Amino acid sequence: MSFKFTQENLNKIEELKKRYPSPKALSLPCLWMAQSQEEFISLDAIDTISEVTTIPPMEIYRVATFYTMFQLEKPKKLQVDVCKTLSCKLCGSDKILKYLESKDVNINHVECLGSCGTAPVMQIKDKNYENLTPQKIDTILEELL
Amino acid sequence: MSTLVKIIVDGQDYEAEAGSLLIQLLIQEDIKIPYFCYHESLGADGNCRMCMVGIEGQKRPQIACDTLIKEGMVVNTKTDTIKQVHTDILELELINHPVDCPTCDQAGECSLQDFYMEYGLHTSKITIEEKVKHNKAVDLGANVMLDQERCVLCARCTRFTDKITGTHELGIVGRGDNAKVTTMPNRPLSNPYAMNVVDLCPVGALTSKDFRFSQRVWFLETAEGVCHGCAKGCNVYIDHNKLKYKDDTIYRFRPRRNDAINGFFICDTGRLSYKELQENRQESTLLNGVIIDTDEAIKQAKELIFLYKSNISVIIDANLYTEEIEAIVTFAKSINATIFSPLEVYEEKAFGDDMLKSSMRAANAETIKRMGINTQRPEKIGLIINFNHPQEFESDKKINFLTHSRESAELCFAIAVFSESSGSLTNEDGITQYSQKAIDKNIPIMTVIESIQRLGL
Amino acid sequence: MRESKIVSSKFHIQNAFNLHVAKEYGAYKSLEKMDIYAPQQIIQIIKDSMLRGKGGGGAPAGLKWELMPLDDKKPNFLVVNCDESEPGTFKDRQIISKDPHLLIEGIILSCYAIKAKAAYIYIRGEYKAYQNILQSAIDEAYEAGILKECDITIHRGAGAYICGEKSALLESMEGKRGHPRLKPKQKEPEWFFENPTLVNNVETIATVPFIVQNGADAYRSYGTEKSPGTLLFAMSGHIERPGVYEAEFGTNMLEYIEHYGGGVKNGKKLKAVIPGGVSCGVLTAAECEGLTLDYEALRGAGSSLGTGGMIIMDEDTDMVAALKNILEFYHEESCGQCTPCREGSGWSDTIVARILEGKGTEADLEKLFELADIMNGKTICVFAPSISQVIVSFIQKFRDEFEAVLV
Repeated sequence: MSFKFTQENLNKIEELKKRYPSPKALSLPCLWMAQSQEEFISLDAIDTISEVTTIPPMEIYRVATFYTMFQLEKPKKLQVDVCKTLSCKLCGSDKILKYLESKDVNINHVECLGSCGTAPVMQIKDKNYENLTPQKIDTILEELL
Repeated sequence: MSTLVKIIVDGQDYEAEAGSLLIQLLIQEDIKIPYFCYHESLGADGNCRMCMVGIEGQKRPQIACDTLIKEGMVVNTKTDTIKQVHTDILELELINHPVDCPTCDQAGECSLQDFYMEYGLHTSKITIEEKVKHNKAVDLGANVMLDQERCVLCARCTRFTDKITGTHELGIVGRGDNAKVTTMPNRPLSNPYAMNVVDLCPVGALTSKDFRFSQRVWFLETAEGVCHGCAKGCNVYIDHNKLKYKDDTIYRFRPRRNDAINGFFICDTGRLSYKELQENRQESTLLNGVIIDTDEAIKQAKELIFLYKSNISVIIDANLYTEEIEAIVTFAKSINATIFSPLEVYEEKAFGDDMLKSSMRAANAETIKRMGINTQRPEKIGLIINFNHPQEFESDKKINFLTHSRESAELCFAIAVFSESSGSLTNEDGITQYSQKAIDKNIPIMTVIESIQRLGL
Repeated sequence: MRESKIVSSKFHIQNAFNLHVAKEYGAYKSLEKMDIYAPQQIIQIIKDSMLRGKGGGGAPAGLKWELMPLDDKKPNFLVVNCDESEPGTFKDRQIISKDPHLLIEGIILSCYAIKAKAAYIYIRGEYKAYQNILQSAIDEAYEAGILKECDITIHRGAGAYICGEKSALLESMEGKRGHPRLKPKQKEPEWFFENPTLVNNVETIATVPFIVQNGADAYRSYGTEKSPGTLLFAMSGHIERPGVYEAEFGTNMLEYIEHYGGGVKNGKKLKAVIPGGVSCGVLTAAECEGLTLDYEALRGAGSSLGTGGMIIMDEDTDMVAALKNILEFYHEESCGQCTPCREGSGWSDTIVARILEGKGTEADLEKLFELADIMNGKTICVFAPSISQVIVSFIQKFRDEFEAVLV
């Protein structure tokens, strides 16, 4: 297997194992760690996680495909998650989505991000950018791209 | 200790074990109820929601596969409300189902078709463009083809590879109506029992690559046979059909339920063993590789037996029926021959497992042992009369009775395989079973017993 | 409108997530009560307070706590549900980012009451920034020796609304897909690796310190007879001042919208309100007249209080498009396990898409009502019944808008 957890992550895994009744609970934490190392979840990572958690590889694979935030392929562009659900839509998310089409990013239409009071909103690399306007988007993307 | 309690279903009294599953009772008592995800070997999953019944005292309909029998329970499966529930949920199963029936192998043995005729008869309210699309004709490996669009996501196949074989090749990935059954990339379905998922699948999502497009099931006739692949004696259905101008042909084996032996399943090797019953057969009587007239050959055989009297060994294939073995033994004794059935050749340690596969690759080895037949190799002898045993032993002359062709210059008669006659056999656990004749060949090949009768000694 | 700050008292204080700041404002004071009350007594106080779960269900928390066995046969666990994914809801994130020590305080008391040695906080994957704040607060609490009898571990989700359903949450924590479990026939606790487990919403647990500190009567002095206490109500959508503003139950809805929210944005007229996250039936502006924000009143109005996250829609809102938007949400988030929800959520989305394109017919509206019926009460969890409520309320109350775009 060509995927190895970093020593830091291995230490985290050992610590976490003590906190749960079964190593199976570590599937989500391990998937996050693997994604933070490689930007996506590779099949090799799935095999490694299977060993750590004692869950068969197919089950880990199924878990990875169930959740929106796990990438099973390495992203080629900056991932921009834009909320499209009702409150954001009422506050102009359609305009934001349209504006982002002109940018060199990968736009993901995601469901409610829990930022309804500061809509419209997008999330990039775990950080929220709220009360969006096209100008704000320009500034934000200038820094990130 | 389990207690029997009385319950009422559709106004009739029934007795069942307290705490057992309601759906199990309904199935046993032949009370028709639609269901996909429940299977007696896999248990309940509660995801198809088809098996809904009304339970007195419960506001909402309950799924029978998650309802435990209680004393005095009153169940109704035929009220208008329940019928409407069945119809409605069936419509949802059908909404994204492709209307492949004209080309789908499952037609004729499809739960969706059966339920539609019983509970459905809806007209489609969705256009083809609006239906959810998935992959069709995915080769999963192990002779199993998957059509993801036909799948009703009952999870029987995935539960099979999880609970029964423990190999975990199949799983449902994705979410919502994007969910589909699949294998991991580059990890095909690969276990000795894989093809059982084709039987488990209630619709045409999983089909056998071996049987695909070969026959419409309503043309098939079925005999109840016993697989001869090993000493386990798994029960099978022998599905065959005689097409015009062709010979009666077996198209597939399917598992036949036997709770004492193989449960609901058979191994893939056994399932596909029907092929060898129709390949490479000894068709005619041969001497030195050349066809000779059978009556003439019988005359020559009698002469050989007279010539080599008291210098004869009779060798018996441990796959023959018990009646055939008994007849051979009687015959052998009548000509003062020694009798052997060397069993070592049938041992295949790598084949045996702790499920259905026995390392003894002979179906009736137990009978050989019980009859006290010598299972060692015979010494060199004058004449060997070989009743289909796979090994060659040393002798001056041989008379072979064979199901399959063999390189031989000796006298070789053709005999019928097990599917062309009926008889009994005893498996390694000592259970004696009867295997039905399935095939009536256009030009019948004589059975072992007929061959002995013709030798008339 | 009486100011009611039970869980939001420190929200306006800068850096209240720092332990020394929080302590200045009374954090962890209620822990002293653990020296006076036995665990059973704390459960009784919670029962007496009639605290209702704040995750959307509103079931009495004390009755859930009572189901936990206290016999030490198996370890008990507490799981705090911070999966907050109900559209229109963004209140729990305020607690964990602005006053995380209040939550930790509540966890310590709750673990004491139900004899749990370990608590987990299941936090939605999209809340990483707030998770970091919460984790720092937990680290501070460990360092200061405050966390000693129970461990707190944050478990990060990865983007699945259904994991907010408590049995799906536990499946997710057990390392599997978030598929809700079949419901037991009798009342029993939840199970985490077959150990008795209590699952409560963040705000519910964050309310515990106040109740333990001040007593059940103090809590019941807020709110109504049957819906005591407060809730972190919220407003979003076409509202001047969107945000989270704690208020007691029984507050008049339209007054709340005026007072805290500044009324409908840009001076427009109110058309509709979804009262508690999209899973509640929509209310017309007329139906909101005189309506109070409590569980009973909302149920009486044919809707539900849910999470109290109000989505305000003005006179220009296209209700057909709004329904489509909500159904897309359900279509995306269905776990796919059971037939009526998996197929029904997709098909209803498809039908409304057809209607929006101008190709819909009367029969399609009929079909939507039929689907709403099939999805109600025949599924493994309450996700599908929410879709039913949404479909029925939108079409019934705004039927003319739907009929206007039919073929």
